[in-house]
Amino acid sequence: MIEFGHFALCIGWLLALVGVIGGALVGFFGRAGTSSVLLQARVEMLRRATIGVALALACSLIGLGYGFVTNDYSIQYIWQYSNQAMPWIYKITAIWGGMDGSMLLWCGLIALFCAAVARSSVRYPRALLPWLYSFLNSSTLFFTTITLFLTNPFRYLKAPMVMPDGNGLNPLLQNEYMAIHPPTLYLGFTGLAIPYAFCMAALASGHISNDWIRLTRRWTVIGWTFLTAGIVLGGHWAYLELGWGGFWAWDPVENSSFLPWLTATALLHSIMVQERKGMLKVWNIFLCVLTYALTVFGTFLTRSGIVQSVHAFASTDIGWVFLSYLALVLLVALALVVYRRADLKPERAIESLFSREAVFLLNNLVLLSICFAVLWGVMFPVFSEAFTGQKQTVGIPFFNAVNVPLFLALVFLMGVGPTIAWRRSSVTQMMSTFALPFAGAFVVAIALVAAGITEAYPVLAYAISFFVAMSILGEVNRGLKSQSSAIQSAASSSSKYSPKTLLQLFRRHRVKYGAHIIHFGVAMMTVAITASMAHKVEREFTLAPGERFAVGRFSLELTEFHEEDHPNYGAIQAHVNARSLKDDSVLTVLVPELRFYKKNKETTTEVALRMGQREDLYLILAGIDESGKKASMKVFVNPLQVWLWYGAIIMVIGGIVVAVPVARGAARSLPARTLESAQVV
Amino acid sequence: MGRIFLSLVLFFIVAGTVLVYQATRGTSSLVLMPSELISRAHARDLPRIRVGGRVTEPIEYQTEPFFLLRFRVSDPAGGATTVPVEYRNLKPDMFQAGRDVLIDGDFKGGTIVAAKLQTQCPSKYEPALPGATAGVSELEK
Repeated sequence: MIEFGHFALCIGWLLALVGVIGGALVGFFGRAGTSSVLLQARVEMLRRATIGVALALACSLIGLGYGFVTNDYSIQYIWQYSNQAMPWIYKITAIWGGMDGSMLLWCGLIALFCAAVARSSVRYPRALLPWLYSFLNSSTLFFTTITLFLTNPFRYLKAPMVMPDGNGLNPLLQNEYMAIHPPTLYLGFTGLAIPYAFCMAALASGHISNDWIRLTRRWTVIGWTFLTAGIVLGGHWAYLELGWGGFWAWDPVENSSFLPWLTATALLHSIMVQERKGMLKVWNIFLCVLTYALTVFGTFLTRSGIVQSVHAFASTDIGWVFLSYLALVLLVALALVVYRRADLKPERAIESLFSREAVFLLNNLVLLSICFAVLWGVMFPVFSEAFTGQKQTVGIPFFNAVNVPLFLALVFLMGVGPTIAWRRSSVTQMMSTFALPFAGAFVVAIALVAAGITEAYPVLAYAISFFVAMSILGEVNRGLKSQSSAIQSAASSSSKYSPKTLLQLFRRHRVKYGAHIIHFGVAMMTVAITASMAHKVEREFTLAPGERFAVGRFSLELTEFHEEDHPNYGAIQAHVNARSLKDDSVLTVLVPELRFYKKNKETTTEVALRMGQREDLYLILAGIDESGKKASMKVFVNPLQVWLWYGAIIMVIGGIVVAVPVARGAARSLPARTLESAQVV
Repeated sequence: MGRIFLSLVLFFIVAGTVLVYQATRGTSSLVLMPSELISRAHARDLPRIRVGGRVTEPIEYQTEPFFLLRFRVSDPAGGATTVPVEYRNLKPDMFQAGRDVLIDGDFKGGTIVAAKLQTQCPSKYEPALPGATAGVSELEK
């Protein structure tokens, strides 16, 4: 099976090469003097090659997976990242536990996206297709080239014998999140190669109508949704596993996934401006290319060893390959934009600052400012050393100082952008739309100050989030009213505010209300992040069995601690009753754990967590004292933490709502004029 | 390009640069290795430093009356120079002698007083076979 996997990787690489070269040749020469039947046959061949790449790389992944499950330690990579004692699920997840396998997974997922595009490409403009296949396969070709020639996971150990057992996966990675977080994140990264391919195909083919941007939107939303889910899953994993009570540390690995998320978010907004108004054409190309470049840059960052991180980066010599490819991507894009500049002129200019297009542009600029600040923070050690000879770095204080005000501005714009009118908004219109949300936000701010919360940022964050929520609810209300009047004119008896009418409204305008759902999720996350940052409680304590410690609304009572033995590790477990301070009832039993992994001789803590709507109770066992009679622990009380995860789930649901294609029948149930009036405010 | 478009872009370039510059000035730390820190011995106190080093013995960890971790760090490549570190917090996961750590804090009276201590996890972006290459050559002997 290992040979089969390796062979499949070679076939995938060859087919990708055929796709790139064939697509370019058909794109260049295919149209002149070729019958449409022949052209169609060539395009069909490219389509099949693109799907073939995905099938070949799926076989390659299956081959490697089989090697892991059957403990084939003759393979260097399997020997390094697996051992016999590991449960089978971690043997599967170990496929992407190291650099070589993670690159193969990356190839497989990017090919999967390309195949999905190829399958639905029959509806796309024919002029675009040859170049689309060429650029789709170019991403796959780049990553398969690296995998095949530089980081091949199918290499045999150079030993004359097969090793009896492997090294095993890092204990921190032996976690169920390893099964879902990296693939989801990679789906996000690889999904964002699709808008890039569309953009480049449009430029190369000269088919620069607004078709490509319309086609791009859905793929961008899909990539963005996976990336959002992947980032949040990573945060949740860190929260549960790393035992420091937080979820985001502005580490370069985290930042490398956040950077393309920011530009993809900007792109999703500016796409609408081009679709509706024919503006920001070059800007959208810039964002498509930048987003893709940042996914490649993230891969470069984590594999070049140029910055320090809590993650041990490779000091491999493949960094230059990524940097070269990055330069090539940017240069080709720049050359094509210059070549097509005459076709990229905007159809009109922004007329007023008080218009949706201006607010979307502002949103884009804030997102890019955050992107620039994060990129600056990540690369600052490199820049400072290059220019001053002394390496310097910035940490969490820098990222918070820059990004908190920018994020608040962004959240505020989120409440304004989707509800303000296109082109120009009058004072009267704005008053009727925003007076109530503004008044509500002001009341919230006053109430918070009166309640003793006097720090500016938390008060602003809560008030702005409330403003956004009110603004969204107002918009939904206007939509329902508009729909209700249309339905009444169509002689229907449905109530204006029933769940059925709400569902009807959302189904008819999926993109619009999907975006509102996402924004609502962001507002919820803003509140949760603010609360968990500004009002977190952190305490250390030592207890003998039977003793108690009070924190927040809880009294923690240690009942016992004991040792346990497992095949993979030994552990000390403490049993702690979390009691209510109010009535002394036991709310839950927390069991924090200290583990000693036998193979790696590593010590890790396993957090005990009580998730609550008001706060999380987060308990870590630090150790047992020398007498063996007392246990030392650390506790965090994180207010509203769970709402961060709820908000993220809502964002992902919103992304799915936007990405799902509109049912053809849904938009036909009301007269066109009525639909239009219900949609546009 | 429209006037509004250009004005907004220019405003954000200027405002963003000022914001980033101010924040960098106010929060940046010197990145040093333990040997570099010692070579700056004339400055016994250095505020805001980040030290990347390898944990060496002796390691002391007390949990009462408060968490206190004391250890020494050498350069990641090894070497005789070691610097004492004090960290008033929970011992991080996977902390042990020989592990590479990142320390953020201040250098006071010849000791690094750590505000943040991170153990570098040998996670998935390791180069292929960092230690295993040796294992292979052992077998080949």
